[in-house]
Amino acid sequence: MSLLSNTATLLGKELRTEFRSRELLTTTVVFILVVLILFSFAISPTAEESREFGPGLLWLAILFAASLMLQPCFLREQSNDTLSSLRLAVDDPFAIFLAKLVANTLFLLLTEILMLPLFSVFYNIPILPQLRYLLLVLLLGSLGISIAGTALSAISAQARMRELLLPLLLLPLLTPILVVSATVSVSLLEREPVVLWKGIGFLAIFDLVFLTALWLFGEYLLEE
Amino acid sequence: MKNLDSVFAAYLIGWGVFFLFYLTIAKRTSDLRTEIERLRALLPRGK
Amino acid sequence: MAKRIILGAVAVLLVIASAYASFYIAPEERTMGVIQRIFYFHVGSAWAGMDAFLVCFIANLLYVWRRQEKYDWLGVSSAEVGLVLTTVVLITGPIWAHPVWGIWWTWDARLTSTFVLWLLYVSYLLLRTLVEEQDRRALLSSLFGIFAFLDVPLVFGAIRWWRTQHPSPVIMGGQGSGLDPTMKKVFFFTVLAMNVFAGFLIVERYILEKLKHEVDILQREAEA
Repeated sequence: MSLLSNTATLLGKELRTEFRSRELLTTTVVFILVVLILFSFAISPTAEESREFGPGLLWLAILFAASLMLQPCFLREQSNDTLSSLRLAVDDPFAIFLAKLVANTLFLLLTEILMLPLFSVFYNIPILPQLRYLLLVLLLGSLGISIAGTALSAISAQARMRELLLPLLLLPLLTPILVVSATVSVSLLEREPVVLWKGIGFLAIFDLVFLTALWLFGEYLLEE
Repeated sequence: MKNLDSVFAAYLIGWGVFFLFYLTIAKRTSDLRTEIERLRALLPRGK
Repeated sequence: MAKRIILGAVAVLLVIASAYASFYIAPEERTMGVIQRIFYFHVGSAWAGMDAFLVCFIANLLYVWRRQEKYDWLGVSSAEVGLVLTTVVLITGPIWAHPVWGIWWTWDARLTSTFVLWLLYVSYLLLRTLVEEQDRRALLSSLFGIFAFLDVPLVFGAIRWWRTQHPSPVIMGGQGSGLDPTMKKVFFFTVLAMNVFAGFLIVERYILEKLKHEVDILQREAEA
């Protein structure tokens, strides 16, 4: 299928661009780390409190990091005016978005996986027992963040004050992701873990809704 | 009727906000109408 | 012109009538007493605000489809009116809460969701100030408006689910607490009144936008 092959090619380009410099990944990991440490200083949690608040704080840090990490997504294309070439290269403009959002999801996931051991140590929360469910939540949540973030970064790239605008647009929009992911994560990491399937289903619905919206309206986001 | 003043406060503030909003619209509208008249006068060629 | 005056007069009459009904026709609530009468105004404004945002959503869709500036004018008008109504909801909520609970805010599900809604449309209006070119501004804000409105049920759903996991005081007499039939009638009458009033405000704001456009055209002609 033309869409899939276009997407695959563009995805390769996105990944190669990032791994050449790895600046996005390293800065994002460090940023989340710093935010988590700062939370500890601000709240000085006890062991019990760490367990209760830790996952929520982790998701908050992920959201902040993502809203910064998503900035270059379309800005990168603007500096060399590569966007028009991209649009000419593909039949379906959705391929551009699909490639970017898959790349962004992968970057986010990679960052989170790198963060997990550190998070586990700093907040004294064992993560191994529920690892696969935790990864599922991270996947669905990161997917949601990437889908909305990729769409919104296409918008903010065309406006002024884009560094401030993207978080401003993105964070309220992602409230459902934050609330649900944090709740499900907290429940997974409790002393007696419970898998909240309703929450996980909700994340999937969020992802589906915004993926569909992006598919329907993506081409207008790229208009010259 | 102990909380009556809270109820009145809510209605007063709420309607105050709506009234203020309407007032700003009405003022800007009348300013613009004046501006349109002024500009129309500057363009005598039957526009 | 006459139609506008009639609309305005009808709106004002309905609103006065609904206020009268809220105080003299609706029976007093057993537990909370007179403070509960805020309910009609508070929830009435909330529903009218949502209707305004629905109008905005439809206007956004129509703009993306048709690219006629009148839809952009309708979009910004209904978004502003919706925001004003939502602001009143957020102000009257704490005024209700404080005498009853002794606190101004409890992150109650509906009030919290309303706050996120407020943030979303503040972002919508802010985005508009950051894009200078008219057509681009209309397109970008319409697209964000569409994403924002699609997010609304997800926000309300997510926060309500979150609240079932972590219950807290419900400020506005819970969803299920059946309304006495007279209260119901007064409530729906108030919703009608607030909607007509919102419609009147949208019309007035729309005309302002239209005049702005006319001034722009005349100014350009005058400079020519």
